[in-house]
Amino acid sequence: MEELANINWGLIAPLLVVQAILMIVALIDLARIHATNGPKWLWALIILFISLFGPVVYFIAGRKTT
Amino acid sequence: MNNFLTLFTKEFREAWRSLKFVWMPLLFIVLGIMDPLTNYFMEDILGAVGNLPEGFMLTMPELHPIDILSASTSQFQSIGLVVLVATMASAISRERQNGMATLLYVRPISFTALFMSKWAVASLLGIISGVAGYAGSLYYTVLLYGSVEAGAFIKMLGTYCLWILLVMAVTLACSAMFNTAVAMTFAILLLPVGLMIDSIIGSFWSLSPWKLSAYGLQFISGKTSEYYTETLFLTVILIIAAVLLGILYAKRNAATAKI
Repeated sequence: MEELANINWGLIAPLLVVQAILMIVALIDLARIHATNGPKWLWALIILFISLFGPVVYFIAGRKTT
Repeated sequence: MNNFLTLFTKEFREAWRSLKFVWMPLLFIVLGIMDPLTNYFMEDILGAVGNLPEGFMLTMPELHPIDILSASTSQFQSIGLVVLVATMASAISRERQNGMATLLYVRPISFTALFMSKWAVASLLGIISGVAGYAGSLYYTVLLYGSVEAGAFIKMLGTYCLWILLVMAVTLACSAMFNTAVAMTFAILLLPVGLMIDSIIGSFWSLSPWKLSAYGLQFISGKTSEYYTETLFLTVILIIAAVLLGILYAKRNAATAKI
C-alpha cells in the first residue's frame, strides 16, 4: 500500500480520467442504441474490460447504422 | 456553395450523432499522453514488472522534448491513423450499399459538393483529433522534459494537419472507388502500412509524402529539412489528385448505388 501512496497521482490522473470518459461515453451510447452488430452484453464486457481499445473497437465495429 | 453547406451540415450532424467528434479526440489524447508518461515512469515500471535480477544496473537515456514528441507522433501515425482510416473508409461506399445514396443522388446535387463536404468533415475530425493529441503530448512534455519553442511547434502542427488532409483525401477517394471492405484494406495498405515501409527502406529516397510528418518534427530541434518545401508541394499535388480522383469515381460509381 505504501508504494501506491508514493506514486504521483496528479500526473497519472488525467490519463485515467480520459480513459474513464471514453468508457462512460461508449456505455451510454450502448445503452441508447437500438441494435448492435452482435449481442449487446458482449459489447458491454468488451468496453468494460479492455481498456482504451474496447470502447474504440465498439465505436468502429459495434454500432449498427442503418 | 449552398449545396455544399447543406451537405456539410448533414455530414457534420451524422458524425456528431455517432459521437465521432467525442471519442476520436479522446483516443488521440490518450495516445498523446501515454508516451511522455511511460517514458517518465520507465524505471518504476521496469522495477515493478520487469523481473530484473538483484543489482541490475540500467542507465536511462536522457530524453529531450523532441524524443517525446516524435514518440507521440509515431503513436498517432500507427494506431491513430489506422483508427481514423478505418472509421472514414466507409463514408461514401456505405451510403451506396445501404441505399441512402439513392435518396441523395435523385436530387440535383453536384458530386464535387458531395465529395468536398465529406472530405471537409473528415479532415475537421482528423485535425481536431491530431491537435488534441499533440496538445496533451505537449502538456506533459513541457511539464516533465522541458519547454518547446512555440513557433516551431505550430509549424510542426501545421505540417501534420496537411498530412491529415492528404490521409483523408486518399481514404475518401478509395471509398469512392471501391466497396467498404476493399476501400478500408486499400487505404490502410496505402497509409499506415506505407508509412511503415517508408520507415524501413525509406533511406533510399528523400522525397515522399510519408516523410512529411518526420520533416515537420525537425522544426522542434531547430532545423529545417532541405527537402521540406519539395515534400510540401508534392503533398499538395497528391491531395489535389486524390480529390479529383475521388470526385470522378463518386460520379462514375453512382450507378452502382443500391435502390
